[in-house]
Amino acid sequence: MEKMTSPYKWGMVIDLDRCTGCGACVVACQAENNVGICDKKEISEGRGMHWLRIERFWVGEYPDVRVRFLPVMCQHCHDAPCEPVCPVYASYHNPDGLNGQVYNRCVGTRYCGNNCPYAVRVFNFYPHQWPEPLDSQLSPDITVRTRGVMEKCSFCIQRIRRAKEEAKEERRLVRDGEVQPACAQTCPSEAMTFGNLADPRSRVARLSRSPRRFQLLENLGTHPSVYYLKGGGREHV
Amino acid sequence: MSEKQFHESNELKVSGEFNETHRTQRTLQTPKTLQTNKINDDLLSSLRPPTLRWYLLALLLGAVVAWGLAAFTWQLTHGMYVTGKNRPVMWGFYITGFVFWVGLSHSGTMVSSILRLSMANWRRPILRAAEAMTVFCITVAGMFPLIHLGRNWTFFYMIPYPNQRGLWPNFRSALLWDMTAITVYIIGSSLFLYLGLLPDLAVARERSSGWRRKMYAFLAMGWRGTAHEWSVYHRASTLMAALIIPVAVSVHSIVAWDFAVTVVPGWHSTIFPPYFVIGAILSGVAAVITLMIVIRKAFHLEEYLTPLHFDNMGKLLLVISLLWTYAYFVEVQTTWYAHEPIEWEVFSFMSGTYTTQLLIMLLSNSLLPIVCLCFRRLRRSIGVMLVLSLLVNVGMFIERFLIIVPSLSHKNMPFVWGSYSPSWVEISVNLAALAGFVLLFTLFAKFFPIVAVSDVRELEARRGRVTMGRAGVPSIAEED
Amino acid sequence: METLGIFRDIESAATTVEALVKTGFTEAQITSLTSVPYPDGVLVRSGHSFRFRWLAAAGGLAGAIAGFGLAAGTAWLYPVQTGDKPIISLYPTAIICFEVAMLFAIVATMAGMFLEMGLPALSQRPYDPAIADGCIGICLTIHAGGEAVLCEPGVKPEECIGGIATLSATEQKVLAEEIMWASGALRVIGEEAP
Repeated sequence: MEKMTSPYKWGMVIDLDRCTGCGACVVACQAENNVGICDKKEISEGRGMHWLRIERFWVGEYPDVRVRFLPVMCQHCHDAPCEPVCPVYASYHNPDGLNGQVYNRCVGTRYCGNNCPYAVRVFNFYPHQWPEPLDSQLSPDITVRTRGVMEKCSFCIQRIRRAKEEAKEERRLVRDGEVQPACAQTCPSEAMTFGNLADPRSRVARLSRSPRRFQLLENLGTHPSVYYLKGGGREHV
Repeated sequence: MSEKQFHESNELKVSGEFNETHRTQRTLQTPKTLQTNKINDDLLSSLRPPTLRWYLLALLLGAVVAWGLAAFTWQLTHGMYVTGKNRPVMWGFYITGFVFWVGLSHSGTMVSSILRLSMANWRRPILRAAEAMTVFCITVAGMFPLIHLGRNWTFFYMIPYPNQRGLWPNFRSALLWDMTAITVYIIGSSLFLYLGLLPDLAVARERSSGWRRKMYAFLAMGWRGTAHEWSVYHRASTLMAALIIPVAVSVHSIVAWDFAVTVVPGWHSTIFPPYFVIGAILSGVAAVITLMIVIRKAFHLEEYLTPLHFDNMGKLLLVISLLWTYAYFVEVQTTWYAHEPIEWEVFSFMSGTYTTQLLIMLLSNSLLPIVCLCFRRLRRSIGVMLVLSLLVNVGMFIERFLIIVPSLSHKNMPFVWGSYSPSWVEISVNLAALAGFVLLFTLFAKFFPIVAVSDVRELEARRGRVTMGRAGVPSIAEED
Repeated sequence: METLGIFRDIESAATTVEALVKTGFTEAQITSLTSVPYPDGVLVRSGHSFRFRWLAAAGGLAGAIAGFGLAAGTAWLYPVQTGDKPIISLYPTAIICFEVAMLFAIVATMAGMFLEMGLPALSQRPYDPAIADGCIGICLTIHAGGEAVLCEPGVKPEECIGGIATLSATEQKVLAEEIMWASGALRVIGEEAP
């Protein structure tokens, strides 16, 4: 039994004080990851395929109302509730601390989706089509998922893989800021920071130690890899 | 023998009254071949060629099953969107059905084992039906997890065998515990059923001809009923009964763990395993009562399934219903008192959205049985027992639904709260499961003695009368 | 080689057993064929050990080991990390161990029971359909004849074959049939000597 260690622990910090709720990350994610295209009907049935969603909350009473946005994607928990419940190891933990999902192992019990407290796992209820010319923008780096399969945010694992391979060729570790997922890359207000939490000097690690930080549903003890930053103002998320 | 006599002498208590209508005094040595013949004829009547009515019933049930298969094919070819499921409610009617049928399967083996171990003589006529019910219920239940898969055709990924994928299933998953437990329970309860059948198969062998005789002869394995065979048989039955009870308890505990080991509010509760086991026994006992009534009517077994049996089963149902009420109260009360926001949200959503269902459940699982079954007259009334036992199972289906769906609808992230209503596909498959169960059961009743002939006759053979003072008292010979 | 007498009731069957024992056949040679069980001693005495229970226990133990192998062994051979759980997770392993142990114990109980009963019977043995209808069969296993091994101290009860064994098998059979007819047998079915 080999010991599974890695110099990387990928993580993300999302600064909610910077987030404008523009939704660019949602679009970028959809474009990058071959996420199925859903119509109005599918989304109204609660069968949308968003790997990343922006939750919108109204804070305060009229006229003193503020809106807060909370981008939620897979939190890549270290004690992920979704992983041990999968009977076929489709959901597993990779050495980099990522919460992996192997599509062709998935039999579709949807147990992981039930047990995910963040409800970020999406299930292919429909067989999705990419009508022309949308099919030409499908990424060749990742598979197109069939119906009956669970999927979710992978922190753009194809980008991480490429960066790791390039670094390995040059016999070095991946540099801070060298790789970022589509959402972080696209964010116009630079609210999202991605990097290696195992490196204490990386930007993401420094931000994750900020006094403004919090994690979603910390009380459940899932130890997510995603940190949120939020000012001490009266508008609590 | 009149119905009254049967149940009076069936009671183990000593009654010291003179009764003119009692049979003439007889001891173990009196001839009873003629009577035995009658019992054999009565109890093996189900093996006679089926009537037109039976064919019509089988046709109807077969049609429902075919419709369910068509609905499943529809789902198979189109995708899971034909069900009512969504995010966050990813489990719905299929898993409700699964838990319900696993619960029903606790009837038989559990009830019959407990009664066998406690040497309750009134168990004898209902043993077989209850055990057969277990086998068919658990078979039906075992199909639901496969039906509910997103990719049904890859179900074998969950079976542990050396494969090209180089991957074993994950035994840390509660679903694998389920699979293991259900496999064990199917095999165990089938063997238990077969064990009980063995002496009856030998009787059926001598009373049939043609292919039936061949089948019974093969299954009876040359059983002759020597003293040695009987004594080994009795020891083995007792041991099997003792072994099958922990398995039955574990099966439903594991089904409860499917929910209890998660972090879903409303599911994550330590009371679930015992609560589920109690619920399972409640629906199981109710189903056995329903079945007793149906079999009594269908095979004209009024002499063998007397009001006494319903009285006893009613008492059992009363106790289990009280236990269930207690468990339900404990579950809700602890949540209510702690008032943890998200857990309480699940309960208030459930009672707000599914008020009618909740009330029906409480009425039929708790209030009605507890009130009605306190009265001997009602316990002995076949009609009342039929209504009560059916209601309990309606209530238990609702209970399973109310456990599964509201918790998923309102999980931790309020932004993705949702709701669920079953689609026609899910309803069809659930109806087909019911029809399939009844069909399997009627087929079984046509092929095998549905009343335990040897068990009933054993009681007859051991029955005698002793004279005590001025009274003739019914007695039953027992071994140490 | 067996001789089977069919009796209408328990009383005549019991008389036959007594007469057979008095003539010199041993209890171990006589058994009853009934379609319902009677308490031990009503017809014959069968003092038996029940070895299948040890088989059941052995099955349970083997099952526990197999269950451990299935849950823990395969996880160890194919290590995949999930949810920060150990690769060999004791709690699930215990559950699988229990289930497989019960499965093996149940199967071993059934197998042991059939072994102990000597079923399935491969050869045709004397039987009468009347037994299924409530008649009592008294079945006598006749020895090939020859030396008698008397039931003396030092001889195991199942090994002694009684003084009557000095007679030839056919003579024994004729004798047994006479006794059965005398006690009111409905029918006597005798196997031919091989």
